[in-house]
Amino acid sequence: MAERAQIAMTGAAGARRSSRVSLRHMLSSEHPLPWLFPVTAVLIAFGVYPLLYALWLSLHKRNPVTRLSVFDPDWNWLKIFGDERVWGAIGHTYLYTSVAIVIELMLGLAIAALLDSDRKGYGVLRALMTLPLVVPPAVTGMMFLLMLDGSFGVLSRTLYALGLWSPAYPILATANSAMFGILLADVWQWTPFMVLIMMAGLRALPKEPFEAAAIDGANAVQAFFKLTLPMLSRIIALAVLIRGVDLFRVYDYIKVMTEGGPGTATETLTAYAGTIYFKNADFPYASTIALLTLILLMVTSTIFIKIFKVKF
Amino acid sequence: MKQSLALRLLRDVTAVLVVGIFMFPLLWWGLTSFKPTSAIFNKDEVVFFDFEPTLVNYQVVLMGKSRAELAIQSGSTFGVGGASSYDSRQTIIDSIVVAIGSTILTVFAGVSAAYALSRMRFRGRQAYLNWILSQRFVPPIAIIVPVVFMFHYMGLRDTLLGLIFIHTLINVPLAVLLMKSFFDDVPVEIDEAAMLDGATRFQIFRKVVLPMVTGGVAATAVLCFVFSWTEFLLSLFLTNSIRTLPVKISTFVTSTGSEWGFISALGTSAIVPSFIFILLVQKQLVRGLTLGSLKE
Amino acid sequence: MGFKKHDKQTFIADSAAAFASRRITKREFLRRMGLAGVGFSAFSLGMLGNARPFRNPGLISRANAALPDDQTKFLKEVGGQFKGAKIRYTSEATPPTVVLNQIKSEFTSLTGIEVEVEIVPLEQVLAKATQDVQGQLGTYDLYYLDQSWVATFAPDCVDPVELYKSKPDLAMPGFDWDDFSEPLVEGLAKYNDKLVGIPFDIPIFVLMYRQDLLEKHGIAVPTNYEEFTKAAHAIHEAEKANGIFGTGLQAKSGHYSLECDWTQAVWGHGGSIFRPDKTFAGNDEQGVKGLEWYQDLLTVAPPQSTASTWDGQFQMMQAGQVALVQSWDEFFPGLDADDSKVKGLWQPAKPLQSAAGLRKMSDVGFGEIPNLGHQGGSIMGLSAYSKNQEAAWIFMQWACCKEIMTQCTLAGGFAPMRESSFADERVKAKAKVMPGTTRHLDIVKWTIDNVMASEPDMPLWAGLSTNEIPTELGKLLTGQDYGGSAKACMDAVAKMVDAKVKEAEL
Repeated sequence: MAERAQIAMTGAAGARRSSRVSLRHMLSSEHPLPWLFPVTAVLIAFGVYPLLYALWLSLHKRNPVTRLSVFDPDWNWLKIFGDERVWGAIGHTYLYTSVAIVIELMLGLAIAALLDSDRKGYGVLRALMTLPLVVPPAVTGMMFLLMLDGSFGVLSRTLYALGLWSPAYPILATANSAMFGILLADVWQWTPFMVLIMMAGLRALPKEPFEAAAIDGANAVQAFFKLTLPMLSRIIALAVLIRGVDLFRVYDYIKVMTEGGPGTATETLTAYAGTIYFKNADFPYASTIALLTLILLMVTSTIFIKIFKVKF
Repeated sequence: MKQSLALRLLRDVTAVLVVGIFMFPLLWWGLTSFKPTSAIFNKDEVVFFDFEPTLVNYQVVLMGKSRAELAIQSGSTFGVGGASSYDSRQTIIDSIVVAIGSTILTVFAGVSAAYALSRMRFRGRQAYLNWILSQRFVPPIAIIVPVVFMFHYMGLRDTLLGLIFIHTLINVPLAVLLMKSFFDDVPVEIDEAAMLDGATRFQIFRKVVLPMVTGGVAATAVLCFVFSWTEFLLSLFLTNSIRTLPVKISTFVTSTGSEWGFISALGTSAIVPSFIFILLVQKQLVRGLTLGSLKE
Repeated sequence: MGFKKHDKQTFIADSAAAFASRRITKREFLRRMGLAGVGFSAFSLGMLGNARPFRNPGLISRANAALPDDQTKFLKEVGGQFKGAKIRYTSEATPPTVVLNQIKSEFTSLTGIEVEVEIVPLEQVLAKATQDVQGQLGTYDLYYLDQSWVATFAPDCVDPVELYKSKPDLAMPGFDWDDFSEPLVEGLAKYNDKLVGIPFDIPIFVLMYRQDLLEKHGIAVPTNYEEFTKAAHAIHEAEKANGIFGTGLQAKSGHYSLECDWTQAVWGHGGSIFRPDKTFAGNDEQGVKGLEWYQDLLTVAPPQSTASTWDGQFQMMQAGQVALVQSWDEFFPGLDADDSKVKGLWQPAKPLQSAAGLRKMSDVGFGEIPNLGHQGGSIMGLSAYSKNQEAAWIFMQWACCKEIMTQCTLAGGFAPMRESSFADERVKAKAKVMPGTTRHLDIVKWTIDNVMASEPDMPLWAGLSTNEIPTELGKLLTGQDYGGSAKACMDAVAKMVDAKVKEAEL
């Protein structure tokens, strides 16, 4: 009781003060500024500034012999249009993102429906299903690198033994199949992500429409396509967006498993940027490619958000 | 929907099979950590259980037994490869420190900002939210070089503090958006009632609203921990003597020899802490992974 | 709180049970786990048994005892002036560095200077060194520089001979510069008549063959490229059923290892990488022949070759998968390891001769030296931006002095940089089938002295040899592009390389 009165007194005084726009007001807890300050500071210092620096770098042309960079705003930005590998990388990035998303979504839905039961033991199964999410992606990449080794990998050799694949074409060393090898790692790691989201979505669905449909004589498949999917559409859109953003920026699996190879068959934009950074030391050009990635990503996701009306 | 016994059985079997398939790589990985090299690279057959288990991988990685000395003893240093030392205890400690440090900073900053975004209406609020979201889009490779130079001049290079800052950067968008959704769940009426009593925002926040979202804070903290624990690229380039787990593991490979035994031993050990944490916040996980948009 | 191992196990098990049945809170459970030690790793070990810490005093004290007195005195007195300094050295995990890392504590105990060795994969060494010199950050005091990068980093290193002469009070007595193998100094460390560093390791191509397999099928040891191809095909035909291939290659797409194999193939067929007019020569008649020879070899090599670097290639040899290999001499001691399936079965031989004859030095560009023994040697360079340059210089001299280099050879069996090490009695004593064998060193020395090759010296080479060239080669060899035509691939590379050279105004 006494405490409440105390708060009331200081609070009343504070309420009077907060109606004025002043420096003191801005620093008080009534104004958003102090609340937002830590986040804003971190984002500006470590988020905005480096991006601006990267942009500044991209406007320079680097001389590999003298290592000096001269201001030449067109050089790199025009270069990417003429660089075959950039176009290849754009293609690979979009291909990787879309294939992975489709697979992860379908598998995620299916497994979510499968595991969505309150029967005994299903809780354990669901918990186990989240395990792949906590493995560092770099480690996941190595796991699959070993399992897909053309001579000694357990997955490769199983496929050979079953006659499904020929030992003459190691999966990660063959241009046509390398992408699938990497996708395998990604799908393994992130399908559980989709499973979790879809399960939450399924559980939130109201029961009435399904009961009504059952009375009308609809079977499970019809109910799924005509009821479940449309009701889940908002969640599906959201999941696709979030996962898509991360897929577009994928780096760890590619770096660990193929380094963009064989040839350039798995070279995404980030992998190519990495190669230019670390092997050719052409920092301005690498920054340009990285910024291109960011621009493409922002454009694509904005379009996606607008079409599917995703809200935060 | 009633299901017949046969259907139920089919469903059970399928469920176990599917989960089993997903667990297989992890089991294989764990198995590999006990194998000697000849069992990992056997050209004639795939070795499942037919080998003599060896503890040497764990001994080197977790108990400080020196692989390099072993190699020198056996007379060949080719194929030793990788780390300047395989002893990974310090690595585990460093990773934990960085993860916890960045989690604390992230939660602190994120919770504050989220409260303001949830409760206060001000010009540019939506723009601010969009800006935070767009930070999530930045590929780390774009900021690697600027950050390295920046850190160098700030003296943060190869420091735990530097890593903590950069991991905070990575996780803050997630924390803000996630906590905002938790705060949105708390009815504004509660705030308003407390304000009528004359409390300041800060007091309301601390004494009334925050205690109601501890579950959310916990979930956010765990997710931040996991993402920091598994971060690779920035940690690689911002450190020399400090190694976080993913970086350490990467140094075991692609040089003169890939020490798969150690990789799998350390990799297996790396999974355990995160998994424990994830189990603890199963329920809040969904909201976290969708940046607050979807509640369970 | 101290725990006996058994108590710890019980404690952990009890806590886990208590948590599972909700007798304790989560917080309490985590607190207890924290008390129990470094997380669950300690637990799993506790379950599995005792691990004694590994000690080997023999090696360490041996290294020190053998240093001549005047050098020990130098280290204590002169080196001791820099006590407390901390120097940093970044390197790939090649044998000399690995050994150095093990025995560096002896240096510290004599001088009080601490040495931090950062061992990372080769690509990361390049990336970090590049970043360091770009900003002149001085993060590293010493660099490990692959010979293909020496031109790129020459401006960033201090000439060691000059330093030795100009600072006599910091000069280690008895260092003996002439003792270094001359071809190594010329081929590895010199750029534009300046010495960029001290030769440090010399992986060099030699021929290695499985004596038992060749004898079994009555095949003579190949001496030139055609014989090699014939032998590889013959063995593969005969031993296919046993899962044995004729040869193994390090053809990983986009990796420097592929570039090494390719250069040797080109040189061996009378070609070269550059012409005197600085244009790319890999697409001329001999160059294309060399590449086609390599393509043919892939048909009798494990398919995993196109995803293997030298470490994968070594695995192939050690697992008994291949019979003939022309590659790094550093593999050799590992093949005789105690648990090796192929112990004593591999023999060394001189690198393959070229029937076509080598291209003359006057017909190549950028200081390239086409020859029969491709080398991937490296040097240790002293950074011009180092903040502890004197302390680093003392360490550099210690690491490259006679006794320490001989110790490194003894420990790892790899080729030394110094004549005296080759001739040392202890090294010769190990020339038999045993772990750390040195029985291949005669061949290695002959190769170094007679047929050592050298890649071009130009500032773009680090990038070209690790990115553009092996990536296009990879596209060809894995069927992604060029339809199997070596000429088409080389023409494309020529276009790229020529454009870059022109742009850099070399």
